[in-house]
Amino acid sequence: MKARGARALLLPTWAVLGVFFLAPLALMLAVSFRQRGVYGGLRAVTDLAAYLRSGAWLANYIRSVSPIYLSIGWRSLWMAVLTTVLCLLISYPVAWWIAVRAPRRWKNLLLGLVVVPFWTSFLIRTYAWMFILRGQGLLNAVLLGSGVIHRPLELLYTPFAVMIGLVYGELPFMILPLYASLEKLDRTLLEAAADLGAGRAAVFRRVTVPLTMPGIVAGVVLVFIPSLGQFVVSDLLGGAKSMLLGNLIQNQFAVARNQPFGAALAFELTAAVLLLLLAYALYMKRKGEEVLL
Amino acid sequence: MTRDPDGGLRIGSPWPRRLLVSHGVLVYLFLYLPVAVLVVFSFNAARQTAVWSGFTLDWYRRLLRDDGLLDAVRNSLEVAAVTTGVATVLGTLAALALGRSPAGFRGQRATQALLMLPVVIPEIVLGAALVTFFGVSRLRLSLATVIIAHVVFSISYVAIVVRARLAGLDPALEEAARDLGAGPFDTFRRVTLPLLLPGVVASALLVFTLSIDDYVITSFVAGVGATTLPLHIYSMLKVGVTPEVNAVSTLLLAVTIVLIVVAQRLLQEDRRTT
Amino acid sequence: MTRTARISLCSLAAGLLALGMTVTACRGGHGRAAEAAEHKVNIYIWTNYLPPDVLADFEKHTGIKATVDTYDSNETLLAKIQSGVADYDIIVPSDYTLKVMIPQGLVLELDRARLTGIDNLDPRLLNQKYDPGNRHSIPYLWGTTGIGYDKKKIKEPVDTWRVMFEQRYAGRILMLDDVRDAFGVALRLMGKSINETDPAVLRQAADMLKKQKALVKTYDSSDFANLLAAGDVDLAQGYSGEIAEAVAHAPNRLAYVVPKEGGTLWVDNLAVPKTARHLDAAYAFLQYVMQPEIAARIVNGVHYAGANKAAWDRIDPKIRSNPSIYPPPDVLARCELIEDLGETTQLLDQLWTEVKAQ
Repeated sequence: MKARGARALLLPTWAVLGVFFLAPLALMLAVSFRQRGVYGGLRAVTDLAAYLRSGAWLANYIRSVSPIYLSIGWRSLWMAVLTTVLCLLISYPVAWWIAVRAPRRWKNLLLGLVVVPFWTSFLIRTYAWMFILRGQGLLNAVLLGSGVIHRPLELLYTPFAVMIGLVYGELPFMILPLYASLEKLDRTLLEAAADLGAGRAAVFRRVTVPLTMPGIVAGVVLVFIPSLGQFVVSDLLGGAKSMLLGNLIQNQFAVARNQPFGAALAFELTAAVLLLLLAYALYMKRKGEEVLL
Repeated sequence: MTRDPDGGLRIGSPWPRRLLVSHGVLVYLFLYLPVAVLVVFSFNAARQTAVWSGFTLDWYRRLLRDDGLLDAVRNSLEVAAVTTGVATVLGTLAALALGRSPAGFRGQRATQALLMLPVVIPEIVLGAALVTFFGVSRLRLSLATVIIAHVVFSISYVAIVVRARLAGLDPALEEAARDLGAGPFDTFRRVTLPLLLPGVVASALLVFTLSIDDYVITSFVAGVGATTLPLHIYSMLKVGVTPEVNAVSTLLLAVTIVLIVVAQRLLQEDRRTT
Repeated sequence: MTRTARISLCSLAAGLLALGMTVTACRGGHGRAAEAAEHKVNIYIWTNYLPPDVLADFEKHTGIKATVDTYDSNETLLAKIQSGVADYDIIVPSDYTLKVMIPQGLVLELDRARLTGIDNLDPRLLNQKYDPGNRHSIPYLWGTTGIGYDKKKIKEPVDTWRVMFEQRYAGRILMLDDVRDAFGVALRLMGKSINETDPAVLRQAADMLKKQKALVKTYDSSDFANLLAAGDVDLAQGYSGEIAEAVAHAPNRLAYVVPKEGGTLWVDNLAVPKTARHLDAAYAFLQYVMQPEIAARIVNGVHYAGANKAAWDRIDPKIRSNPSIYPPPDVLARCELIEDLGETTQLLDQLWTEVKAQ
């Protein structure tokens, strides 16, 4: 397709995102340079030149790098990494199974079944996990009843419960892109590698994984990033005892009514992720691979 | 090298068959455990979900009379349907434009960056930004503003998944079609699109899921009478969730499973006749 | 794509459409026809604050169709109304939220001539600092924040907030997930007002809360009554109405108390946003709920204390005599209303972040 045709195809997307995405965000960016008013809202800026000269417009950003907020960011990062890694490890074999090993007539069904649980309400599913993990919940009832343990395990309101909730919620976002990539995997290449004497592990490592990298990357992106900014799961399953980046930002908008500070934090989060993606894109470009994102 | 009777390839699988299957089964069990709990307790006679105290269809009966809940379901379905339609089309077009155009065409980098942003921005920022924007542009909050918000965050997901799919397609197939004299539209319609279809459908499923379940962004931009199911459920948390919500979830679940099985059957026939 | 594939996708779409229509049909009752502009009112209210039968009767008596949306926090309400594009005619802000909305010009000045029912209201709740002269609102429901506890598990008498900081109850304590409520407890224990703004005092309060965190099982502002009733926690900070309801279901096991150091008193008020479009309907609704019979039915339905004095005789005697719902004067004397802290909000938020983040 020619460049002109490509641009025509992109026009509707640019129109929608330009008006309803870029414009609101630009508005938010402007807000991040202002200060919270006495009652929430924004403090009026009477002398723009003086305001800029005084450096007050950077106040929110300066505040955001104090140790307390940096430690929150660090903890959120680790949680997101852990979630993504667990999702990847759990999802790859499943996606493999559906895409490569399952009988053809079952594929769509199995794929659909992955998604179907997520057509129920996320809040209710999280509540169901609370019911399962509670002191008097399902899991403890089963373990106590069968004599495996003698006192109920306190699983709810712990980081363990939060991890379960996060991984559970993100699995389809890892399985689906992996499946899309695996489904198109050229089996003859695998056969060829085997014919050349490669063992199963080598074939996987040196043929399958590189070939399915687009799917892996898509999955990692779709899981890692929302995990960084989430807050509902850590509130419900973690007993609201942790302050992650998502909680912090939500707090600024919903409770502290400090939109400028919240907006500044949000843009910093965004910038950090964009930098990561940029670094990845450069790395892929150097290796001569197509940059998918 | 060995083949299963129906074509599954055994070579290259890093995992022994039995392990693979049991892992898969365990994962599916994990996925469906909360769902099972949901369904089972929609028949529980007690209001508190903590204790089983008898079978009843009461909650389903109450459900059919609960206008608030039914309104919320209808709103959610409307929003999800429209969002899926619009986002899938726009996202697929974008994926095609990016994947089948000369590398580095003017606007390619910008578009890639643009499509990345909605995934990167935290939901809460998007919600707050949109409501500020609607306020400034005097656009009254309603179901339409919810749909707009959902489309905005959905397009990227479609683009990502379809691009991944597109990247794996063999360009030789399209070249062959062109060599045989097919014009660009024909090539698209009869070669590219069918090959792309699993990716498009997968992304449509993804978008529908995202839309039906969205709480944060929707809570910012929903207007009068535009309460969706997640909003309604969240507001019920104050009172303690009644098994009515379990009943709704169970019904929605049953319907979607039926739809998927039907679609699956039809697509099977299609494959056999072509 | 092939004909069959097209058919299958169409049937999928048709299936979804059918589903949507079935849901609409099931809904029955109110038709879309009743959307004539004059006879509508859009109400934005706390969850569980308006019994459905009262609403239905309102619609029947006035012929006005009401759409009700709910929220669970003042901040959600504030964000929606501050946007200026939410189309509500009646909102129910709490005291300190109203204090913020009035100077920002978000709520209408009410026409007293159209609100004769105000004479029915309890004068003690009128003319408060957050809305002098009740020019912008009328009180609706009120309550306190105190401790709900399990009498069987906590053998000693519970009359102080100190019990929420006791090591032996570690892991059995619930605190509200609200910065003002949590700090209120610490400040009261220090003998200070819950509206304290001295940074040094606030930092001390924060230190108390940080030490307490290890003992807290969960912070929860929505499920506290259920968790107490289910036995997940033995001590729960919570709001009077919901805990009173839990106590009513298990009077031998549960109890509610406002500790001797004092607690928070809160008042939720009916107000009309400046952008309201259906003013006649809004006034009709306000007049309706100020009638003694209706006010009593509301109180009986939601278990919170009402602001309507004339309704007293019609309120369920069990609710009237329940000190958790209608506390005696000595308890009220030691409760305070929350006030917005203006500039100090930023420091308070930072301290709360530190408590949660550790």
